[in-house]
Amino acid sequence: MTRVDLWPRIEPLLSRIERPARYVDREWGAHHDEEADYRAVLIYPDTYEIGQANQAVAILYGLLNAISGVAAERAYLPWVDMSALMREEGVPLFSLESCAPVRDFDLVGITVPYELTYTNVLETLDMAGLPLRSVDRSETDPLVIGGGPCVYNPEPIAPFFDAILIGEGEEAISDIVAAHRAAQSEGLSRAATLLRLAQIPGVYVPSLYAVELDEQGAFSRVVPAEGAPATVTKRVVADFDALPAPVRGIVPFMDVVHDRFGIEVLRGCSRGCRFCQAGMVYRPVRERSADTIVRDVMAGLACTGYDEVSLTSLSTTDHSQLEDVLRRLQRRLEGTGVSVSLPSLRVDAFGVEMARLVAAGGKKSGLTFAPEAGTQRMRDVVNKNVTEEDLIGSVERAFAAGWRRVKLYFMIGLPSETDADISGIGDLVSKVLATAKAATPPNARGSVRVAVSVSTFVPKVQTPFQWEAQITGEEVRRRQGVLRESMPRKGVELHWHDSEISFLEGVMARGGREVADVVEAAWRNGAVFEAWTEQFRLSRWHEAFALTGVDPAAIANRVRSEDEPLPWDHISAGVSRRYLARERSRALAEQTTPDCSFVGCTGCDVCDDLNVEIVLGGGQRG
Amino acid sequence: MANGEFRLRIRYGKVGRLRWLSHLEVIHSLERTIRRAELPYAITQGFSPHMKCAFGPALPVGTAGENEYLDISLTRYTTAEEALARLIASTPADLAPLEARYVSEAEPSLAAAITIAEYHAIVSGKESSADSVQTALAGVVDSGSLTVQHRGKQKVYDLARSLPKEVRVTDQDGGIHVALTVRMGPEGSLRPEVLIREAFRIASLEATVSHMTRTDTLIETGEGLWVRPL
Repeated sequence: MTRVDLWPRIEPLLSRIERPARYVDREWGAHHDEEADYRAVLIYPDTYEIGQANQAVAILYGLLNAISGVAAERAYLPWVDMSALMREEGVPLFSLESCAPVRDFDLVGITVPYELTYTNVLETLDMAGLPLRSVDRSETDPLVIGGGPCVYNPEPIAPFFDAILIGEGEEAISDIVAAHRAAQSEGLSRAATLLRLAQIPGVYVPSLYAVELDEQGAFSRVVPAEGAPATVTKRVVADFDALPAPVRGIVPFMDVVHDRFGIEVLRGCSRGCRFCQAGMVYRPVRERSADTIVRDVMAGLACTGYDEVSLTSLSTTDHSQLEDVLRRLQRRLEGTGVSVSLPSLRVDAFGVEMARLVAAGGKKSGLTFAPEAGTQRMRDVVNKNVTEEDLIGSVERAFAAGWRRVKLYFMIGLPSETDADISGIGDLVSKVLATAKAATPPNARGSVRVAVSVSTFVPKVQTPFQWEAQITGEEVRRRQGVLRESMPRKGVELHWHDSEISFLEGVMARGGREVADVVEAAWRNGAVFEAWTEQFRLSRWHEAFALTGVDPAAIANRVRSEDEPLPWDHISAGVSRRYLARERSRALAEQTTPDCSFVGCTGCDVCDDLNVEIVLGGGQRG
Repeated sequence: MANGEFRLRIRYGKVGRLRWLSHLEVIHSLERTIRRAELPYAITQGFSPHMKCAFGPALPVGTAGENEYLDISLTRYTTAEEALARLIASTPADLAPLEARYVSEAEPSLAAAITIAEYHAIVSGKESSADSVQTALAGVVDSGSLTVQHRGKQKVYDLARSLPKEVRVTDQDGGIHVALTVRMGPEGSLRPEVLIREAFRIASLEATVSHMTRTDTLIETGEGLWVRPL
């Protein structure tokens, strides 16, 4: 097939739009392969600067391009100025590397990073000129595959994908590509290809799963077609240390979010915070060893030329060899002007000590802690094993060591929360502020800042709180009022999340397949780039709910009984329902559960279900 | 420039698709190139250490450059040939370094020294010809000054000063080519596409600039000699 190069039609548009660097390709590390006969395009459904640094895309890009005969390219959603011009001129969505129409690829992979990007998936498909729904695609259309953090309840986006990968993609992606290439060479039909893909562990083919409703029209069950597994269980990589890190990553020209070399130092977190979906679905904990990390950081910096490296993970300060890693990096990077950063800190002496190591001699920009709740009772409910003493002690150490800014993360709307728990946030912040000032020399006290960010709890699937009701928008606003009243008036910058956005997140998080109709109706009504606050309009969604007859409150604001069938029951993250229910009852009894990567097993079933185990670089933690 | 440092001047291009980069994007990218090339670059002392490098005058987004310059400070002497080879091997082709040579620490900074820029524009438009473009440009040039509104501020350019050479319009391979030379400085740096656009507007000529390239950036010596920084 002769390939189409859209560049001559795109370049004339660039003088009429903002930030043309989003569309020009040619970055260091971009992979150009005109010869490969199997072509995949990996799409992050947001702008270039939001998606470029995504590690999942970077990893899959590297792995696919390493397969002989396979080329992977990238595409991002053009910003509204560019998409309007492209529609006007009839230019379809294009890949960066060869500037080819997305619809001409064999495989279109779309990562779904966040609930509010669901309409962007439809915008992506529409701009590519592809039918929005799998059932409407023809034999000549590419295979459209989804993946990413949102797939643990895939139902609200299920009809838009031919297949969705549940879990880690490093090994699954080559299985999928191999199966697709074999199907192509055997001349299999689209339907037969999809049935074959459904045999790959972790691959969910939504069209093979019919949704049945009961007499009241409520969700009853999902019925798999013949040959499709009853439950799709997430993929997980057992030997994480052996995976190649994407050290030859793409180096963008323009400023992007996370514009630094990122190295994933560990995967999974078993602290067991009961609100946290990532902590439940990315188990078990697997660390890269100190030797591997230091080797990959040095290689990554040499290949990319970045002046900053971030040690990323869900809980970097839990890495059993972190201190060793930081000391070795500091030695290797001395005199280069290259800095090391940690995403967030454990609330204890060790956390602050690690921050001091990282900041030695350089900037002390600000520290971030996440106590999550204002009272010990509430922290016990959510299993955030942090005490007031831990937090105050950490703040004291940090300000005595020269930091002047601290950022604190909290949530409101947690199960069993009372107004006393909310005003407890204000009390705790007052103590933090007083401690910070007392630990700061008098002449520098004016620069002490405490930033407080308060989000609204959104119950997520595959967590102990998946059955809980989310508080209504009205109640959110009332509790935000209580919060504001409790806050110190001076020295605190308070930010809270928009109640309308939290509500919509909640509907997307736990909705069934009927919510796909809502997503489509909202997109047809103009909803796109909903994660960009200035583009978000809740009214479009209300119209979409009315049009489709879906009651959003029944999804978000209703408590479920533990024996109610759930729309995501056929998807397993390996953590058993029994464990989730047990953790929920321990939560309501205000009992905490320890972290199995420090002490013994707490019975979440992941290791047995997935035949994997906890891997610690230093042998043990703590 | 601290003692014991070596000032390496690099000539580079910003061409092809990368003409769409902003000046800031070029700076960041070339800093990363220097680190990838593992040159012994010097860093500033102080609170927020960063690489010591200095660029010539900025190029706007969309304008290509064929002879742009930057200076970097090295802590160890590396032959200019080797430094250049390593830089070329570490840079996207459309931003590639073309020449490298050590210069004296006594020389003024590129930003201050470069005051002459030569541009080449390709103009296209339905009714336009080399003659009509020439006439339109002459209309503005002969008036002696150009008033430009930029972000609510008004700026008046003395064209006798800003345009030290005749503007030349030629017809080549069916395209209309405009060559012009601009003087830059603290009094202001006239953007050639602004001049051309304004000339077309006044003459009601329906034409646009499809490609703009800064072909050379030059230093004007005390004797009025225009020389290349390398």
